[in-house]
Amino acid sequence: MYDLLITNALICDGSGTPGYEGSVAVKDGKIAAVGQVDAQALQVIDAQGLVLSPGFVEPHAHYDAQMTWDGLATPIMEHGVTAIVQGNCSLSLAPVREQDREFMAKTFRHIEEMPENAFDAGLKWSWETFDDYNKAISNDELGINVATLVGHSPLRLWVLGEESRVRSSTVEEITQLQQELRNCLDGGALGLSTSFVDTDFEQCAVPCRWAATEELDALCAVLGEYKATLQVVPEFWNEDLLCARIDLMADLSRKHGIKVTFSPLFDSVAAPNLVNVALERVKYQRELGGVVIPQVQTRPSDITFNLKRTSAIFVTKRSWWDTLSVSKEERIALYKNSEKRAELIEELKNGLMPIALHIEFDKITINHIDSDKNRQYNGMTLAQVAMARNCDIAEVMLDLSLEEDFEVEFTAASLAHDNPEKVADMLTSEYTMVGAGDAGAHVTRFATYGDTTYLFSKFVREQHALTIEQAVQKLTSETYEVWGIKNRGYLREGYAADMVIFDPVTIDRGPEVMAYDLPAEGFRYVREAFGIKQVFVNGQQTYIAGQGYTDNRAGEILRVG
Amino acid sequence: MTVSIEPRRRSMFPQSGEQWQEFAARVFPDQDLNVAVEQLQSWNLHISYRVPTGKLLPSDVVFIEPPLPE
Repeated sequence: MYDLLITNALICDGSGTPGYEGSVAVKDGKIAAVGQVDAQALQVIDAQGLVLSPGFVEPHAHYDAQMTWDGLATPIMEHGVTAIVQGNCSLSLAPVREQDREFMAKTFRHIEEMPENAFDAGLKWSWETFDDYNKAISNDELGINVATLVGHSPLRLWVLGEESRVRSSTVEEITQLQQELRNCLDGGALGLSTSFVDTDFEQCAVPCRWAATEELDALCAVLGEYKATLQVVPEFWNEDLLCARIDLMADLSRKHGIKVTFSPLFDSVAAPNLVNVALERVKYQRELGGVVIPQVQTRPSDITFNLKRTSAIFVTKRSWWDTLSVSKEERIALYKNSEKRAELIEELKNGLMPIALHIEFDKITINHIDSDKNRQYNGMTLAQVAMARNCDIAEVMLDLSLEEDFEVEFTAASLAHDNPEKVADMLTSEYTMVGAGDAGAHVTRFATYGDTTYLFSKFVREQHALTIEQAVQKLTSETYEVWGIKNRGYLREGYAADMVIFDPVTIDRGPEVMAYDLPAEGFRYVREAFGIKQVFVNGQQTYIAGQGYTDNRAGEILRVG
Repeated sequence: MTVSIEPRRRSMFPQSGEQWQEFAARVFPDQDLNVAVEQLQSWNLHISYRVPTGKLLPSDVVFIEPPLPE
């Protein structure tokens, strides 16, 4: 007697080979039989007309804080995800000593753009070591599988203390860093993450950027001992810098026998040749034995914003940024001040762009106004509204925000990574993996959920760039292989029964919507999923479309091997 | 496994404690120091324009030749 039998499904088993109709039986959290299974089970599910595949992996997530209050990592499982890899970009919440918690929390919130009230209300630190962090999240509420990287920045903070923020390490400290990394890997860490880009909440380089190459080399030697993977954030917007980093990553890979994955590989009109140049370099290095795997996100860069808080949209517009950093009362006064308005109107015309983005302000759309007075502007561009109101586009944003008490949302769509043919080529390259989604991060700026479902709607159904089977393979077995996690990612006997049932005709991401569902009614953008019918984690039915989450919580901590 | 690969654009990493002057003196020992520093800074705007300091970090890629022609 099996625990579960799913019948009549189109089985896409994670290998990329053509799907076939059949059944999958589950016993004790593992796949017990695949194919034409004629047996009894405690629960039988008819999946006629639906695809059954391994559960998807989100290989670049930042749920480190959220996992302490939300063991389901909502809403990512609704998009078919049964495993997340967090601790990316040099940032993890362990190992962190009590005296360093404030620095790490502020830095994490700053880089990953998480709401301060939710982060502080939800995060209850009860650990210092990596092992204890894993124990803290592997409680009865853990419903999704979680793998966590050690952040290079907290690792340095652990060994060097405050000086990790201002200097490189000594020979003795490098030995201590190696030992602490071993402790973390023994405590269940999946690998190490580092960054050559990020800054802390005081706009200073994060601690890992003070590491000399000798230190990174020594840490990669430890990764080699454990067959663990290194994740890197390189200078992804510049061809020369990115190629230099690819060379460095390839050297580390060859020397220590490790895989290195970097994120993101990102297409932008700001550097139109970058992707081709980088992929050529990756290919060249692969032929010489250096395994460097770029992560490619599926979604284009869209940013939704309002005039209540700062946004990446205004990073190069200092006057706008400053008005978004003051109280509401002060902001109202500034937006009514004719001199300030003139300054803001003028500043919007300067051509300075944030790194790797191209913003056309006149094409920004109004995406959410509730009032009867201004509802007719929903869906219109700033240019269209400006014409209707006979004013400048900057005044549209200012006046609508004032009239609506700042309850108006604007969307800047397709800022980069929005050429579907080019992104399809990137996603289907044998040298890349699907990733860089940043799930759980930047939640006050845009929704980082739904990249998995979007892969099917955009690149399988619309672009015909991949088959369903290839898309499944990209999101499952290929990803597990990069991270060195065994016995997951295929529908094969003996493998963990992480599975998703979905409708290949309707699977998609929904529109970006506002939600106040974080602790302390913290705000974030989320996306609904379409077409995902059921999700199973380690054999347990955990999510059912239309019904929500079940009471089953069978998530596990994933580690190398 | 060690391999020698022609870089796309030649670069070096700073050594421990090095700032522009020390780096320039090491990489271009025969050049006037001020000229060498200015030259390096112009080839490495990603560092020299960095807010708030424009100082070298140990992990920085520092280019030691100008950008490639388009």
